[in-house]
Amino acid sequence: METLSNEKVTEDMIPQDITQPLPLTDDFVPGESNFIQVQDFKFFYGKKQALHGINLEIPSRKVTAFIGPSGCGKSTLLRNFNRMNELIPGVRHEGDITIHGTSIYDPSVEIIALRRRIGMVFQKSNPFPMSIYENIVYPLRIAGQKNRAVLDETVERCLRSAALWEEVKDRLNESALGLSGGQMQRLCIARAVASRPEILLMDEPCSALDPIATAKVEELIIELKKDFTILIVTHNMQQASRVSELTAFFYLGNLVEFDSTRKIFTNPAKKQTEEYITGRFG
Amino acid sequence: MHAEPARPHTLTTFTAALDQLRSTVLMISSLTRRNLQNSIKGLMERDDDWCNNSIADDEEIDLLEMQIDREGIEVMSRFQPVASDLREVISSIKIGANIERIADQAVNIARRARKLNEQPELVELHLLDELILHSMEMFDDAIRAFAERNGDLAKGIKPRDKELDQLNRNLTDTLVNRMQDDSTNLPGYLNLIFISRCLERIGDHSASIAEDVVFAVHAEDIRHLGKTPKE
Repeated sequence: METLSNEKVTEDMIPQDITQPLPLTDDFVPGESNFIQVQDFKFFYGKKQALHGINLEIPSRKVTAFIGPSGCGKSTLLRNFNRMNELIPGVRHEGDITIHGTSIYDPSVEIIALRRRIGMVFQKSNPFPMSIYENIVYPLRIAGQKNRAVLDETVERCLRSAALWEEVKDRLNESALGLSGGQMQRLCIARAVASRPEILLMDEPCSALDPIATAKVEELIIELKKDFTILIVTHNMQQASRVSELTAFFYLGNLVEFDSTRKIFTNPAKKQTEEYITGRFG
Repeated sequence: MHAEPARPHTLTTFTAALDQLRSTVLMISSLTRRNLQNSIKGLMERDDDWCNNSIADDEEIDLLEMQIDREGIEVMSRFQPVASDLREVISSIKIGANIERIADQAVNIARRARKLNEQPELVELHLLDELILHSMEMFDDAIRAFAERNGDLAKGIKPRDKELDQLNRNLTDTLVNRMQDDSTNLPGYLNLIFISRCLERIGDHSASIAEDVVFAVHAEDIRHLGKTPKE
């Protein structure tokens, strides 16, 4: 493998805990249909119940879109997959979420390791105030990786997979804050895939982008699903229909309908889904 | 089953654009029905004026067909309809094309009627009565199914097309026999066979409209059912 520094990277130079997928179990099966299982999952912000007994089976290496009006619970559910909601005081949950059959709430699961396996991309791009290069290698550096060849290889691989390499390869040491909005968001996606997660959570990743930047991110999402399981929250119905294979419609904290995107957008089974996607409420 | 009346879109211009498309389809169907009636009147009352009206008014139908396409494309490009809205737009465009072809058949009937009107009346003219009634009823019901979003009424139309086909075959057989017995009226009999064929085609287009209504209302594709795909 050629890298920026032209040093050969061999497998034994790459610490397994950093650059390899870290499945909860060893029997990772690509394309498994119940990769993520949400079982009678309820979630509360203090006394307010945000999710009412959600049951959902999400297959691996597919794009699953969560849609629904504001306050329906779709982002709440998304943020539970990497236990980010636990940062909010007064929250609690009932039920379970499993990945590869192992509960993310299992006492043996380390939250840092979990978040390394489950990358997240936010609505607003959040590049760190450092160079493009340092943004990408940040997750590796905090995990103790110092090998320059490994870092170089990661930067190129991640920028290529985020379709950003050609645009920034000559200015890797410039500040990431000088990139355009679309480039910043793709940089954040590149950073999210740097620690080789299995799952990518995307919370409205294109809502602050122009149409061309949006198209590039969407193209990237479709490309990334070969390697990652992607869950995307979007208010843009056309985006859900363009990029996802499966769509879940949430309303008032309930999962109303979960089916193939084609079915949801041509002939949804539930009247509420129909009325929402056709723009009659929400 | 009648589709429940959909509540309006949050975006009122979207509802208005869909309503406009729907009313243009209803307009073209109403004018086509009038043209068809004029052609039949010209045929049965042996009055060329009715036939000429039907032929002249066809231009309006052609313009309305193009208007339906424009309005459908505009709804799709401006509002990106999905689900029942998308099916309604697609069906409206296809229904518009089928109605225009029915209007073309009305013109064909009018032209054949003018030729028949040049000669003494044939007693066989009234052999067409049942075909006219049957095809007109199929057309009316197809349009009513569209107007009422009545999928069940639409589903019942397709089997009736087979009956119309049989009526056409029976009439053709009868007239071919007459032609063998009475060669002096050959052109007249041929014109009646052509008109019978036009009425049969109106039934085909009405069945196609009904199929599109079923798709719009029930999201079911009932075309080509029972046919085995070719190897």
